[in-house]
Amino acid sequence: MKTRVIILFFSVVVLSALLISACKKNDVAAENFGPYNPTYLSFNIPNGWPVPATNIFADNPLTEQGFQLGKKLFYDGRLSKDGNFPCASCHQQFAAFATYDHDFSHGFDNAFTTRNAPALFNLAWMDKLHWDGGINHIEVQPLAPITAPNEMAETIENVLNKLNADTAYPAMFYAAFGSGGITSQRMLKALAQFMGTIVSNNSKYDKVKRGEASFTYSEQNGYTVFKAKCETCHKEPLFTDNSFRNNGLAVNPYLNDYGRMRITNDKNDSLKFKVPSLRNVMLTFPYMHDGRIYSIGQVIDHYRSGIITTQPTLDPLLINRIAISNAEKNDLIYFLNTLTDQQMTSDPRFSAN
Amino acid sequence: MKRIQIFFYGIAMFAFTACQKEFTNNQPTGTIKFTFANTVKGIPVQLNTGIYTNNFGEQYNISKFKYYVSHPGLSNTSSTATNKDYYLIDENIASSKSISFDVPVGSYTSINFLLGVDSARNVSGAQTGALDPLNDMFWTWNSGYIMAKMEGTSPQSTIVNNKVEYHIGGFSGANSVLKNINIVVPVSSLNMIDIREGKISEVFIEADFDKWWQGSYDLKIADVPSVTMPGALAKSISDNYANMFSITDVQNY
Repeated sequence: MKTRVIILFFSVVVLSALLISACKKNDVAAENFGPYNPTYLSFNIPNGWPVPATNIFADNPLTEQGFQLGKKLFYDGRLSKDGNFPCASCHQQFAAFATYDHDFSHGFDNAFTTRNAPALFNLAWMDKLHWDGGINHIEVQPLAPITAPNEMAETIENVLNKLNADTAYPAMFYAAFGSGGITSQRMLKALAQFMGTIVSNNSKYDKVKRGEASFTYSEQNGYTVFKAKCETCHKEPLFTDNSFRNNGLAVNPYLNDYGRMRITNDKNDSLKFKVPSLRNVMLTFPYMHDGRIYSIGQVIDHYRSGIITTQPTLDPLLINRIAISNAEKNDLIYFLNTLTDQQMTSDPRFSAN
Repeated sequence: MKRIQIFFYGIAMFAFTACQKEFTNNQPTGTIKFTFANTVKGIPVQLNTGIYTNNFGEQYNISKFKYYVSHPGLSNTSSTATNKDYYLIDENIASSKSISFDVPVGSYTSINFLLGVDSARNVSGAQTGALDPLNDMFWTWNSGYIMAKMEGTSPQSTIVNNKVEYHIGGFSGANSVLKNINIVVPVSSLNMIDIREGKISEVFIEADFDKWWQGSYDLKIADVPSVTMPGALAKSISDNYANMFSITDVQNY
């Protein structure tokens, strides 16, 4: 009797253990890399700034390990076909993560891009990416440049193969996301953690707003002009309202780029492009979606006298162009200089290791 | 003694049920299997080698044929059982053409699924599994899934290498190509879908590619050899292909 109970007991214990272990995936990674114990980070919204419409980290919890993995990927040429074009080749930190001094950027096999590389900062507040807003989430953004034949020209499959063959990545993916290996989803989430946490809020303008510095006479005058004549579209504190507008540029006959209409198929969106942030504007020249205007003074001249007022989709705010005197133009440029954030452009946290 | 036995059996049962997916709410379940057969007018698709003719007299072959089936389920007059998963049916991958999931026991009279990927998943960032961009069904420059894709060639095509390419997508507004497919088991069927505990039932579904050419819109290769972006054309083609599915057989094993 007693023996039967003991036998029954052991058989049930063994059976239960077997069944329970069958539920668990065979966790080889855990054995190789030790316990999964990421350091969680919080994303801080600067005082007075709006809460982003969408929390881009809602399904992508920020961790130090995820951020560091994203940074390594951002600076790694192996994400491109020939190894020469990491994300950072077109998005240079010293240029606020735009391409310095280039209308178009260079890609694989001596190709050019067809639009001016946008600066990368404050992306957590941007719900549609690209000049035409065609990309609807920061996580899927890198798929475009990685696979574009005139940019990084690589396939996602090849990128994953290269990462898997590397000595460092498997452990870094494990540290960031736990067992489950290297996947496109994890690569994209890591890149989103890096890019999405680049925040620019330490320009002189920000310091003035915080009471840590004060504008010069000309800067203050320029700020007044800005508030009166630019602020509707370049809305503070992000210096963009993230809308798409036609600002009266002639169509480039080589590119025939009609902007947002390509995405929406709506002729009312013809020639509309995203309003770019004016933060770090002195570093992001040349200007406009195709980099056609070289200096900030020429940009102001475009709004004063260059706007083509006959385009049916021209922004209503620009129908009469913008009256800006020469004195106002000078002051405005002084003010725009206060939007450069050298702390962000030199922050080692965002630099290649 | 009896009590100890019951206790032990209880532990064993607990260990066993811990493996099951939640879904069930303690209802007994069986497995439903959808098996897709891609055809052209009832003849199984032969990738690359099969030569077909549409009703406009245009000849073509098919090199790729794949489409998303999301949230498949069964229903009867009183209830609907839906699975939350996403499946990519790919003619080139035999195993992709059968999908299985568990549903509560009962008798069902129709099947349903979303042909495509729901709009929420199109705007939720990087996905995995059937929705992984590795599957070559995601547009990178205009974020969103290609819901159904056909590629091939035709002498009537005027574009490079006589290509025929229909990449049908678009998830928002008037040009959304998303289609809720609901097919009632035909009266002629010998069996209803009778889900019994622990048993498998199988529904055989034919997807007739020929339906892409006609319906509410005449798709002629000579006029439109390729559609690779969301818009009115994609919408028209989706209105046609929404009619490509039919149930050919039901088996309860």
